[in-house]
Amino acid sequence: MTLVHGSGARETFDLIMKTIVSKVPERLRKVNGGMGIDVLDDGAVIPIGDKYLVITMDSYTVKPIFFPGGSIGTLAISGTINDLVVMGARPIAIMDSITVEEGFELNVLEKIVNDMIDLLKKYDIPLIGGDFKVMPRGNLDKIIITTTGIGLAQNPIVDTRIRIGDKIIVTDPIASHGAVIIASQLGLLDNIKNIKSDAKPLIDALLPVIEKYGEHIHAARDPTRGGIASILNEWAINNDVTIVIDRSKIPIEPEVRAFLEALGIDFLSVASEGVAILAVDPQYSDDIVNELRSRGCKAEIIGEVVKPQSELLKGKVIAITEIGGRTIVASRGLNLPRIC
Amino acid sequence: MYRAVRIFLVGLVQGVGFRPTINRVAKITGVKGYVRNLGGSEVEIFIEGSQESIDRFFRELSRQLPPYSLIDEITIISDEPRGLQSFEIMKSSRELVNRSMIPPDIAICDECLKEVLNPSDRRYRYPFNSCAWCGPRYSMIYSLPYDRENTSMRKYKLCRKCLDEYNDVYNVRRHHAQGISCPEDGPRLALYTSDGKLVDSSDPLKDAAKLIDEGYIVAVKGIGGFHIAALATDDDVVLMLRKRKNRPTKPFAIMCLNLDIASRLVYFVPPSSIDLLTSPQRPIVLLPKRHDSPVSRYVSPNMDVEGVFLPYTALHYLLLMETRDKFLIMTSANIHGEPMCIDDECVFTKLRGVVDYVLTHDREIVNRVDDSVVRYTDGIQVILRRGRGYAPKWIRLPIDLKRDVVAFGAELQTAGAIGFNDKVVLMPYIGDLDNVDTLRDFEKTLWFFINNYSIDLSKTLLVIDKHPLYASREIAYEIRKKYGSNIFEVQHHYAHILSTLADRGIDLDENIVGIAIDGVGYGDDGNIWGGEVILIQGRNGYRRCGHLEYIPITSDRDSIYPARISSAILISMLGSEAYNIIKKFGLIERLPYGEKEVQAIHNKIIMGDYIRCSSIGRYLDAVSALLGFITYRSYEGEPAIVMEAMSKNWNRIRDLEPIEIRLEDGVAIAKTLNYFIDILGYLDRADLMAKQELAFRIQLELGKVLARIAINELKGRRNMKQIIAVGGGASVNTYIVRGIREVGAEEDIEVILPRRIPPNDGGIAVGQVYATIAVDI
Ligand SMILES: [Fe+3]
Ligand SMILES: [Mg+2]
Ligand SMILES: [Zn+2]
Ligand SMILES: [Zn+2]
Repeated sequence: MTLVHGSGARETFDLIMKTIVSKVPERLRKVNGGMGIDVLDDGAVIPIGDKYLVITMDSYTVKPIFFPGGSIGTLAISGTINDLVVMGARPIAIMDSITVEEGFELNVLEKIVNDMIDLLKKYDIPLIGGDFKVMPRGNLDKIIITTTGIGLAQNPIVDTRIRIGDKIIVTDPIASHGAVIIASQLGLLDNIKNIKSDAKPLIDALLPVIEKYGEHIHAARDPTRGGIASILNEWAINNDVTIVIDRSKIPIEPEVRAFLEALGIDFLSVASEGVAILAVDPQYSDDIVNELRSRGCKAEIIGEVVKPQSELLKGKVIAITEIGGRTIVASRGLNLPRIC
Repeated sequence: MYRAVRIFLVGLVQGVGFRPTINRVAKITGVKGYVRNLGGSEVEIFIEGSQESIDRFFRELSRQLPPYSLIDEITIISDEPRGLQSFEIMKSSRELVNRSMIPPDIAICDECLKEVLNPSDRRYRYPFNSCAWCGPRYSMIYSLPYDRENTSMRKYKLCRKCLDEYNDVYNVRRHHAQGISCPEDGPRLALYTSDGKLVDSSDPLKDAAKLIDEGYIVAVKGIGGFHIAALATDDDVVLMLRKRKNRPTKPFAIMCLNLDIASRLVYFVPPSSIDLLTSPQRPIVLLPKRHDSPVSRYVSPNMDVEGVFLPYTALHYLLLMETRDKFLIMTSANIHGEPMCIDDECVFTKLRGVVDYVLTHDREIVNRVDDSVVRYTDGIQVILRRGRGYAPKWIRLPIDLKRDVVAFGAELQTAGAIGFNDKVVLMPYIGDLDNVDTLRDFEKTLWFFINNYSIDLSKTLLVIDKHPLYASREIAYEIRKKYGSNIFEVQHHYAHILSTLADRGIDLDENIVGIAIDGVGYGDDGNIWGGEVILIQGRNGYRRCGHLEYIPITSDRDSIYPARISSAILISMLGSEAYNIIKKFGLIERLPYGEKEVQAIHNKIIMGDYIRCSSIGRYLDAVSALLGFITYRSYEGEPAIVMEAMSKNWNRIRDLEPIEIRLEDGVAIAKTLNYFIDILGYLDRADLMAKQELAFRIQLELGKVLARIAINELKGRRNMKQIIAVGGGASVNTYIVRGIREVGAEEDIEVILPRRIPPNDGGIAVGQVYATIAVDI
């Protein structure tokens, strides 16, 4: 196993399909009437009465633990809330499991937990249980937080409803979180002084829009690991369509763009933690963008879903580049040069 | 005695006036029978008659063979006479006995040009004149065999006069010639504005020429695609074209009316370049610029050569004739990275902002084919881009393939190939497959060849490059899904060397040492290779026996801003001390984000977050940036190309210290990192002239060190062919090749380069096909 297999890109997807999903009998991939690993969305869906219970689970590791704009605690809570929100669910409770390495400092743990509780208080979400463990030194790199989120949805958004003609919307400038993390890791935070991680729950901005436009929103995800490149590729593959995006329309802070450019990293594959990407009915796309903007987002339509022009382009994402060419956007964790 | 024979001819025998010649020869010699094209594009002849007349037939045939035909194989079987009363050209059959060559496009012949220039000829000033000996072929074929109804000429019904010529057995150039036409019945020209409005014109050709002379930029539809035509002598026009095309420095080709005109632009060095320029292939040839050339210096900035070619259709000839200069920029009509336009719609949508007018015609271009480009490397002819005129001729392998093969090439500037029996059909140059439209073109071209050569995909071996991110692989996977074909991965540089061996017809019956040098290829160890010495172990695969030292590559951006690589090398050698040097030699100014970028590179290297790369291309990039020749790479290979141009006219006064070699687990490594630091020392006391001298010597030394590693592998070993096979995109560099040759010559070892295919990734598919003889799949 290499790190590439955990990059959240094509390699991760392939590995999970091969080693897990394919071995689970089809009838055991979901609860009857709901959705599970048959669709591999952000969360699972279980029908109860006329509503749906949505459950999501994620493990968080990040280096460094504290970064401009938050900590691993902020991430764990926002990430889990966002996974529920993009499923169209209102969060009702959270559980957590914290594992730390022997020698981890108590006051650091407290700071992290405070970040978590601050967010829970702000959004009024109960923390209803969890687990805490300490692992021997060296068996773990400092800390892992695993959070489970439970939500309730009227119309869960499962990303298999994408249609030709759908518009792709990004709710806010992308890649700030990933850029901050990369900058911290490389000791280059000075190069993006004005940038903070975008980690934040999407409850205020997005949830009301999802509730209002319901079935007109055909897919929603939060582009964390692997960035929007990875999500768009998953959508294209699962729905047998081609998705075309215009790179020049993608919202991104100029400082973030410049920083990533100097590193030679494509912003399409860099994580955000407080941004959602939507595929919506074209008739409502402008309304949805306006609604998002009225809630303080810097939403933009960045592309659309088109009919594949050939077998080869089925399941592919195409980017119109800054100079007008059309290139295929790979969902790959590998960053190998191809330029001759 | 009355006898009969059946003859099967394989080679370039369709579309070159072959059947009509046979018919004529039969009529003259009195044999009866028939001739017909078969589906694999081979020709079948049946003749019967007296022994005498049959002998006469063969004698006469060998005398009258059409100028452009090429017989690869001939099978003669004796048969039973059928008592036939006449000789006829029979309707073609789709039946496939053997597979023959799909004819390439042939430049207008002298006879056709004479007609066009003769005021009393009925084809006077006719832009589409052609005959059995010349004209478009591959570019207008829908399917085989090559008959008019299978080409885009099918919609033009022959007029009375043309039909008479077609039926006249004794009309050498037009009898049964599939592509002929005349002003009465052939394609027509039209002139449009770039937004698709028809310009009212009684003579679109003349008017287009006038517009060009006035400084407008005009798209011109030719054989394999559209060109962009513009004045080459007007700086403003050239700069405007550069701006509109978003092409800051990449050279434009110039089409000259004739050799006389061309001789004002370039020197015909070597003199054989004249034959090349006037050959039926009519490639673009890179030749030394005259110092008094009238061409704007913005046409090929920083270059010591100009790409010139001669008209290959009457249309081009007549257009140039009407212009004041008699030579024009004629560059592919495309937008950056995309395939050249082949229809009006493409021009009207994509090139709206680039051209002002469009000179077009109503004959469909079926298969896109780019102009071929040829240059001279250390005096020897090398094909850089293999398109019109050359493709899709096949290459014979010295042995038979075990089964049919489809090879997918690499990623950038590439082409695919198919292989069957002992033949490899290298497809025409396609371009960069990271572009969606180019990729679709690649796919389309693949299918054209798979279908027309009747390749049974379920029994075919698909060959792909090892690089996991190449788009061409995906097509192979799709085919495997549908047809269950086997897939075989071939390492990039191994394939490069095999391409050279295949081109030169060298069997793999012994061990052979090769040098593969290029920009990027995926290595067996997961690193990026490109400065490799590889031992081809006969038919048992290969062993990497040496390479240039790995340099750190921190991103794809490194190839665009080569000062990043110089900085990365310095940082990896000197740590933070490198900062001073990076500043001192002006590398910081060559990076858009200056110090921040250096810092990012520094920290990435400290963290081990980089890719290891032994590519000579990247090393040359680093040297080129260090010497201050280049800041921004706007097209593939630019830093190395500019450095080569800068090195011109340098002769050896004294040698630099040679590049050292160290051994690591039996692998010889050229210590190019240390050498980079040595270069700093030389540079410390260098002005511009000395920099050029330095550049010249560095390239030479790189060639020499690789050759020394190769020779070490050769010396004293048994079962080794006494040659060094060289391949890869960087093996068109004169000074590197000279370095390899010099070392080779000392040991009496011949250095082999490909002749008929490009040594770069445009020819790699040939080696991919050849590699399949070494496996049991
Ligand atoms: Fe190569
Ligand atoms: Mg998630
Ligand atoms: Zn002719
Ligand atoms: Zn006619």
